Amino acid sequence: MGILNRIGVVCQWARQRAQRRVASYGWLAARAALLGALLYALATPPPVLVTLGEQHQVQTTNPKLGVHTRLTDEVEEWKIKKTLELVREMGAPWIVEYFPWEYLEPNEGEYDWGHADLVVDHARRQGLTVIARLGFVPAWARPKKSAPGYLDEAYYPQFALFVAEFARHFAGRVEQIIIWNEPNLNFEWGYRGIDPGGYARMLQAVYPRAKDANPSAQILAGALAPTLAPPGTADAMNDLDYLQALYDAGAKEYFDALAIHAYGWTSAADEAPARNRINFRRTEILREIMIRNGDAAKRALITEGGWNDHPRWTKAVTPAQRVAYTVRAYEIAQTWDWLDACALWAFRYPFASQTYLDYFAFVTPDFDPKPIYYEVQKYATSH
Amino acid sequence: MPRRTRRSRFTLYISRFTPWRIGSLPLAVLAGVAFFGYALATWLPKPPPKPDATWTRILDTGEFRVGIDPSFPPFESDNAQGELFGFDIALANELTREWTQATGTPVRVEYVYSGFDGLYDALQNGQFDAIISALPYDPKKTQDVLFSHAYFDSGPVIVVRAGDATTKTYYDLMGKRIGVELGSAGDAFARRWQRRLKFDLHPFASPADALRALQLRQVDATLTDLIAFNEFARANGDVQTVGAPLTHELIVIAVRKDAPTLLGYINAALNAFKRDGRLEQLQREWF
Repeated sequence: MGILNRIGVVCQWARQRAQRRVASYGWLAARAALLGALLYALATPPPVLVTLGEQHQVQTTNPKLGVHTRLTDEVEEWKIKKTLELVREMGAPWIVEYFPWEYLEPNEGEYDWGHADLVVDHARRQGLTVIARLGFVPAWARPKKSAPGYLDEAYYPQFALFVAEFARHFAGRVEQIIIWNEPNLNFEWGYRGIDPGGYARMLQAVYPRAKDANPSAQILAGALAPTLAPPGTADAMNDLDYLQALYDAGAKEYFDALAIHAYGWTSAADEAPARNRINFRRTEILREIMIRNGDAAKRALITEGGWNDHPRWTKAVTPAQRVAYTVRAYEIAQTWDWLDACALWAFRYPFASQTYLDYFAFVTPDFDPKPIYYEVQKYATSH
Repeated sequence: MPRRTRRSRFTLYISRFTPWRIGSLPLAVLAGVAFFGYALATWLPKPPPKPDATWTRILDTGEFRVGIDPSFPPFESDNAQGELFGFDIALANELTREWTQATGTPVRVEYVYSGFDGLYDALQNGQFDAIISALPYDPKKTQDVLFSHAYFDSGPVIVVRAGDATTKTYYDLMGKRIGVELGSAGDAFARRWQRRLKFDLHPFASPADALRALQLRQVDATLTDLIAFNEFARANGDVQTVGAPLTHELIVIAVRKDAPTLLGYINAALNAFKRDGRLEQLQREWF
């Protein structure tokens, strides 16, 4: 009995041990499976959460209403889409967006259209028309330590090639292209000394190549900064004088429409235009210069402008004035039959700059619409 | 016979203390040493930190240089003679008075003018020691500068007619007529809450117009900032605020990151002003 008992005990011990081992292997296998699943989930790209969505149309009473968006530095796709949805819901069919040359052609001949495609495709899906502003010289096309606005004339062919590639790539999607920004400011001209002749030669280099690439593209010149800088000022040249100088330099044949910056500073939208005043209707003087130079048939588009309601900036107005002037500016723009669009600065910044610039925005970086947004929306959608 | 290796007595002694054999006594000794080391490092009084160079210079020269953009009454402005006045000027003077008493060294304020957007850069460049210029607190700037405790909150508040006890919080605005300055922070707040609280929003061209409408019973409450409220209340006197600001727009003083001693003295003085009522008195005087 004793031996049999011992054998029984040993067998029971062996059986239990085997069961424990099996259970232990089971747990081990379960853990391994869980770990594998986790690793697989981490290694697999996440499903696409943001889609272009359905095709929309902008419902508006003012088809010229627009805003300048700031999506160039917006990384996340949902923020791009959300911004453009808000633009549409405000009743604005036009946007101006900046497409820096450096971002799109980081190395000579290597194009990266990814982010630009994202912005353009989302905008079009919201029913918006995109006006592209091109500039910002890549490092490979300018001397070391020079400003991004510096483009030596020797590199005009490279810039023209880039504009042509842009026009070709976005043909049918982007039909308005602004060449450069505020060339009447020394800062924007790369601190080379303001030179309307140099800008005219740039247009001359760019225009034929862009039109070859996309004959229906509208090439916009100008986008001059409104300024009362007296003659001889190093930092800026009066925009009215600059435009005339541009015509004098023979630029007329090398652009299809004029881009205009129409800031109101502290003046009401209705204030009469005058050469010695910066106000919204200064636009009319620029138009007169076009007519005087035989360019009455050309169109104009306001691609920047508006008012600021910073409590401390000397060129700001009160929030209530900003609302009233902005809505009135859109109304005035609608009456100008030579104007196609009135895109005011700026719809939303990707991040707050914590300066007066934040007070140009219609929507906060956190997508919180400011009262001006609702007032423009009310104007654009309710009468 | 198997060959036995010789082990020294020390090796044998150490071998007793393999990790699983350490007895409770050595562990207790180790814990005690660690505890007393920590106590020495943290609890024992330490020598006071060396004052920063900015504070040392202020005491050496008796000059506290303040950056200011005098274009924002009633916080700061100047007259035709270039004389500065306003809440921030009075506050800066009070700060130096406090430091003079605390340190025994006479300190006076020297103002350095700067455009508002250039204040931070000028501070970093050492053009002055602190910004006292109705500067809003900016969390993003905390990596560049040190901010003092807030000395004013310019966020919107609820204003009702004097004696109106029906509004205690913003939930009590439900169904009422609310006046705001069009486009203001109060307007933005009201538009956020309008769908939930279902009040009638009445925008006006200025805070004074909104407060006048309150006085004339065209609206039941107004959302405006304390400065507009105080200005109106001083002239009319029949309105009152309800509760704390609805959103916070804190006004602070900024110093460079390498000036913690100066910041400490600023905060100590502001705390003293809050305790003894001097800050409230200054606010009553200027707002």
